[in-house]
Amino acid sequence: MTDTRTSLATFSDELADATADAGAAIVAVHARPRLPSTGVHWQDGVVVTTDGTIRREEGITITLPDGRNVPATLAGRDRGTDLAVLRIPTGSMPITRLGDASALRPGNLVLALARLGDDSGGPRVSFGAVSSVGGPWRCWKGGEISRRLQSDLTIYPGFGGGPLVDASGRVHGINSGGLSGALATTIPFETVDRVLKLLLERGYVARGWLGAAMQPVRFSASTAKQLGLANDGGLIILSVEPDGPAANAGLFVGDVIVKVDGQPLDDIHQLLRVLAGDVVGRTLRLDVVRGGGLASVEVLVGERPRRRS
Amino acid sequence: MTGFLSAAAERLRASVARILNGDGSDGSGAAIAWRSGGVFVTSAHVVRSSNVNVMTPDGRQIRGEVVARDVHRDIAIVRAPAAKMPPVQTANPDVLRPGSLVFAIGHPFGVVEAVSAGVLQAVGWLPEGLELGRQRLRWVQADVRLAPGNSGGPLADSEGRVIGVSAMILAGLALAVPATDVEAMLVGV
Repeated sequence: MTDTRTSLATFSDELADATADAGAAIVAVHARPRLPSTGVHWQDGVVVTTDGTIRREEGITITLPDGRNVPATLAGRDRGTDLAVLRIPTGSMPITRLGDASALRPGNLVLALARLGDDSGGPRVSFGAVSSVGGPWRCWKGGEISRRLQSDLTIYPGFGGGPLVDASGRVHGINSGGLSGALATTIPFETVDRVLKLLLERGYVARGWLGAAMQPVRFSASTAKQLGLANDGGLIILSVEPDGPAANAGLFVGDVIVKVDGQPLDDIHQLLRVLAGDVVGRTLRLDVVRGGGLASVEVLVGERPRRRS
Repeated sequence: MTGFLSAAAERLRASVARILNGDGSDGSGAAIAWRSGGVFVTSAHVVRSSNVNVMTPDGRQIRGEVVARDVHRDIAIVRAPAAKMPPVQTANPDVLRPGSLVFAIGHPFGVVEAVSAGVLQAVGWLPEGLELGRQRLRWVQADVRLAPGNSGGPLADSEGRVIGVSAMILAGLALAVPATDVEAMLVGV
C-alpha cells in the first residue's frame, strides 16, 4: 500500500510538473468579450491561438504567466485551419517546447492547458487520454490538417487555443474548440508551423482558385472505355466565373475534368487538396472530356478571393 | 500504479455516508465524517429538514441532527454520534498545484460510493466570464466528472486527504467548497 501511495503521489507530482513546465509558455488572449482564450508562445515574440476566438482585430492584449498585461498585434489569421498568430514584445517569456509526433498513441495520457488571466494565476488544466491518431485530413472549415489527433479531454470555456501537452510537459499542438465535437481536436504542430510561416509572411494563407463550380459525375463503363479513361469519374463544370482562371484558360460549362497534372480525379476533395497546397501562380494541366473527345487545357491558378471574417 | 486510486479511495469510502432527509423527501447527497464524535459535513442544498437519516457504508441508518446550515457557502453540519464512522484526513487545497490528481466520491445518479478521478484546475474565484464569476466566493475547481448525488461528498488529493466538499458543476467544471472554509465554519459549532 505504501508503494501504491508513493507511486501515485509521484505520478500526481509529475502531472503538476508537466502543467507548470508547459504553463510557463502560455498566455491569456483578450480578443473577445467576456472570457479570454488561450495562446501558446511558439517563437520569441510570436503567440499562436485559434482563429475562432479572435473577435476583434484591434486592441488585443495578452496576460503573461507573471500576470502582466501587454499589447499584442494580430499578424495574421487563417479560418481554414482555425489558427491565428499574434506578435508580442520579444523576450517576454519562455518559448514552448515541442514533443515528438510519433510518441503519441491512443491511450497515452495528455493534458489540455489554459490561462484565463484570473486570480488563480496558474495555468488551468484538464486531463485525459489520446483517443485517436491518423493521417492527413481536411477539416470542415476547409483547411488541410497534417494528421488526426483527438482526445477525450474536456475543452472548457477559454481552453481554445491552448496546447495539448504530454505527461512530460511537451506540446503536441493547439486545441481547437471550434473543430472539437464529442472528442477534442488538436491541430498538430507541423500544421501550426506551416501555417505560422505563411501568416508571418503575408498575414493570411493564399488558397488556389479556379473560378469554376463543379460537381462529380460518372461515365458509363463503355464511354470510359471508348475515351480510354483510367477510371469512370470526373468533375463537370456547372458555371464559370467571368475573367476567372478557368474562363481565361478557355474552360466551358459542360467540360468534365478527368485528370489534374496527370492524376485521375473523381472527387471534389482531390481537387481541393491540390488547390490548398502552394499552387497560386502555378499552371495546372487539366484533361477534360469535351464534346465526346478528350482535350488538354492549361490553367494558371489564381488566388481565391478572401472572405471577410 | 496498478492499484491506482483504489487504496486511497477504499480508505476514504469508509468515511462517506449517504444522507436521506427525515421528512421523507428524496435525498440523494453524500456526507463526510469530518470529526470523531459523529460530526458530518454535507452540502446545504442536500439537507432540507432539521432531522436527517445518515446511511453508513456498512448499511446502518442513523438519526442525525442538522446543527448548522450556511446556504450562501452551501455547507451544512450534521451531528450523528451513533454513526461511529472514522473521520477523514483533510488538507489545505491552496498548497496543491494545478494538474495534481484529485478524485471525488459520491452517489452520482444513485450509484453508491462511486469514484471519479481527474486533476485540480485552480483554487480561488471563478473566471469572470463564467456565470457566478462575479460572486467572489473561493472554490476548489477541478476537471472531474461530477453528477447530482456527488453533492456533499469529498474531493480528495491523491493520498485521499479531503480538500473540498463537492457542491456543483458549472460549464462542466467541478466546484467544491475548500476544506479550509469548512474548518473555519466548524470553529463556531
